[in-house]
Amino acid sequence: MDYAASEPGVTEVAPAMAIKILIAGGFGVGKTTMVGTISEIRPLHTEELLSERGVGVDDTSGVESKITTTVALDFGRITIREGLWLYLFGTPGQDRFWFMWDELALGALGAVVLADTRRLEDSFPAVDYFEQRGLPFVVAVNCFDGARRHDPAKVRRALGLDGVAPIMLCDVRNRESVKDVLTTLVTYAVGGAFKDPAVPDGSAVRTTASPVPGSAG
Amino acid sequence: MTGDDPGPLIRLFGLTGGRARPLGETFDLVAIVTTVSMSFEPADLSPEYLAVLSVCHRPTPVADVAARLKLPLNITRVILGDLRREGLVTIDRPQPAAQAIDERIYREVLHGLRGL
Repeated sequence: MDYAASEPGVTEVAPAMAIKILIAGGFGVGKTTMVGTISEIRPLHTEELLSERGVGVDDTSGVESKITTTVALDFGRITIREGLWLYLFGTPGQDRFWFMWDELALGALGAVVLADTRRLEDSFPAVDYFEQRGLPFVVAVNCFDGARRHDPAKVRRALGLDGVAPIMLCDVRNRESVKDVLTTLVTYAVGGAFKDPAVPDGSAVRTTASPVPGSAG
Repeated sequence: MTGDDPGPLIRLFGLTGGRARPLGETFDLVAIVTTVSMSFEPADLSPEYLAVLSVCHRPTPVADVAARLKLPLNITRVILGDLRREGLVTIDRPQPAAQAIDERIYREVLHGLRGL
């Protein structure tokens, strides 16, 4: 095989690829903490400028008349190897930034919906959104100090989940715990198409959730 | 409160000639940008444009370019769209992740995560 070695700076390895994962959930549930726990870099910060009327409007003039606010976008990065990265994007909390979710969700591998059992309802919008988009997600119940341990099956019922998406308990400050959430998501998102070599029984998806009684799983 | 200080925004939009949207086809937050040509007169480009070309010698996702230049995303995108039009960078069109991940990449990702 004659590789194109004559072009300096051009390698023959697979093209660079960045895999996008979203971290969603209500305000204050620990999204930024989770990103910070696992990211190899301090969460990077950028902003999107918004114009009052420009949101969601395809302005063919290309000139925004009125820039009124910014939406912050924090994200972390995990380098798997040169040219293969995972990017973790925290989703903006406020409802008015839903259009940003569309952009973030496009082409994403999947999402983590962080839930706080004291405010489970804060997770509903994210769950609804990802279900409608058909984007694979796992629910990670953040167990704060002193928070009551919750039965994942009860959380599943409370969230009205269909019994497929994995639910797990986690601690967003704990690296091992966050790693576990992300590996579960990645495996779930590829649909169990590939065998996880680390799971002895060959089951591709590890989930801490017990089956929902009466579900048509 | 946001929007109290329009100064930086005005300067940034000056940089893009008032444009808030990039030329040509839109591109994803994690689309990979690669500098493919340095055939330009440095004097013709503003420092931000030169900085993008410098960063993207190594293929770099759009969001990372924005963060490293400390520029808002849509300003970054306008710059990238301009540079693409001039043929100085390429911006790939990423496949949806679920389709782009084959078994080898899946195993690499799992292995990489567990090794953190």
